[in-house]
Amino acid sequence: MNIDEIFDYTSFTIDREPHIVLDTQVCVGCDNRGCTNSCPARCYTWSEEEQKMTFVHDGCLECGTCYVVCHRNAFTRWRYPRGGFGVAYRMT
Amino acid sequence: MSKAYDAIVVGAGPAGSSAALTMARAGLKVALVERGAFPGEKNMFGGVLHRLPSLEEVFPDFWERAPLERHIVKKGVTFMTGDSSFSTTIEAGNFDRPPYNGYTIFRPRFDRWLAEEAVKAGATLITRATVDELVIRNGRMAGVTILDRKGELSAPVVVAADGVLSFTAKKAGLRQPTFDPGQMAVGVKALIDMPREMIDDRFGLVRDQGFANEFVGCTGGVRGGGFLYTNYDSLSIGLVFHLGSLRTSGKTPYDLLNAFMEQPQVDKMIRGGRLQEYSAHVIPEGGYNMIPELVGDGIIVAGDAAALCNATGLNLEGINLASHSGVLAGRAVVAAHQAGDFSRRGLQAYRQLLDDSYVIKDLKLYRKAPHMLHNDRIYNEYPELVCGMMEYIYRIDGAPKENLSKLFLKTAKEKVGLKNLAADAFSAWRAL
Repeated sequence: MNIDEIFDYTSFTIDREPHIVLDTQVCVGCDNRGCTNSCPARCYTWSEEEQKMTFVHDGCLECGTCYVVCHRNAFTRWRYPRGGFGVAYRMT
Repeated sequence: MSKAYDAIVVGAGPAGSSAALTMARAGLKVALVERGAFPGEKNMFGGVLHRLPSLEEVFPDFWERAPLERHIVKKGVTFMTGDSSFSTTIEAGNFDRPPYNGYTIFRPRFDRWLAEEAVKAGATLITRATVDELVIRNGRMAGVTILDRKGELSAPVVVAADGVLSFTAKKAGLRQPTFDPGQMAVGVKALIDMPREMIDDRFGLVRDQGFANEFVGCTGGVRGGGFLYTNYDSLSIGLVFHLGSLRTSGKTPYDLLNAFMEQPQVDKMIRGGRLQEYSAHVIPEGGYNMIPELVGDGIIVAGDAAALCNATGLNLEGINLASHSGVLAGRAVVAAHQAGDFSRRGLQAYRQLLDDSYVIKDLKLYRKAPHMLHNDRIYNEYPELVCGMMEYIYRIDGAPKENLSKLFLKTAKEKVGLKNLAADAFSAWRAL
């Protein structure tokens, strides 16, 4: 299974408005960044050169991992997508 | 959108739909609010569905009507290393006779069906609706608002069945504002398509028989375990990680899942299958000690939202506890309506009902299990110890054998240390 091909395996109705918003300044000062390896959908990537956290909500499985592992509370918003948007499991 | 109900249930999972069903059957006007396009769309689990005594009371023919997959006749545990494994299985005649001890199911089908049963009983199902805020007027619960919709749904009481992160319970001040990663786990799962006959032959099953196996030692040293369950014509395979351990490991769930699926013995089980769906969700694994406040003024918390999950290592229970707590929450709301008292005191019957049920009794009994499982040796050294011992026992190569108990002590001394072994045995004994 290649996580980069998540959209081939799992269905999403992507909202243009993200349901999770990060204050990436907080991530710059974080000594752990457990979100980058813990997120099962690899939504978080840290660039060492740019010293920058990037978050993409498109393939978010709404599992809650980042909400639990972030100990800096870097979220300016963490909610579930609007009704009808986000991940759509068929037979799991 | 502005409608008055007797009760609002947030979340149409097993807890919410069980609560809505109970209240609707008692004649209450119930709104069952679900953020998915249909109930079950957002839900995943391992998973095996165990007996649901409270729902069996409501419908005796429950098992005939629910959309179930195979019933579990064979349960196994596998200790695993990179290229070896030692398994034990139990296959019991009693597991092959109704009432069955457990089934595999698909959440998008099962949850949808249960919510439809609540609708048949008279509940109003509102889908594509993410609950935003609780409405509190004059210090009393008045209802909820929905994200991106005008107006509100009003009711004097809300059942928070919105899952493990329960923002509803948080907004009511019933759960801690943040979670301890040490009390949480994340499960990832691959659904593998496979012809029914191939599954039957490969796992030794006939008719609707199913197999459920748990694995230890397959998580790359991260605290956690693996599972493999048979559906009619697919396999559910996945891993569960303790988040406190995963986040500092630098390892990713999908790489570890790939490594698990490529382990030679696992590879043989899933070979020929095709990946159909990938899913993930957080699980509250803190047990009894992480249960939040269950009742507030005009609000009751049920299911994962109330952290009602029992993960002892051998049995993994969640949906049964969720559904049971939902039924009890429903009963407490019905009683509150009769008394006209929706205050914390008026709803306190829920706490009592839950305390008297197997839900809290079992969680209390196994309250030391979460702590016992926070032991890295279980996930590294012990699987190696078990596989190494068994390999030695079965190897016949002309070398004279050593006395087994001496060998065990020697190997245990090398791998874990005798002091640790004694401490771990004691801790497991106390926890289970």
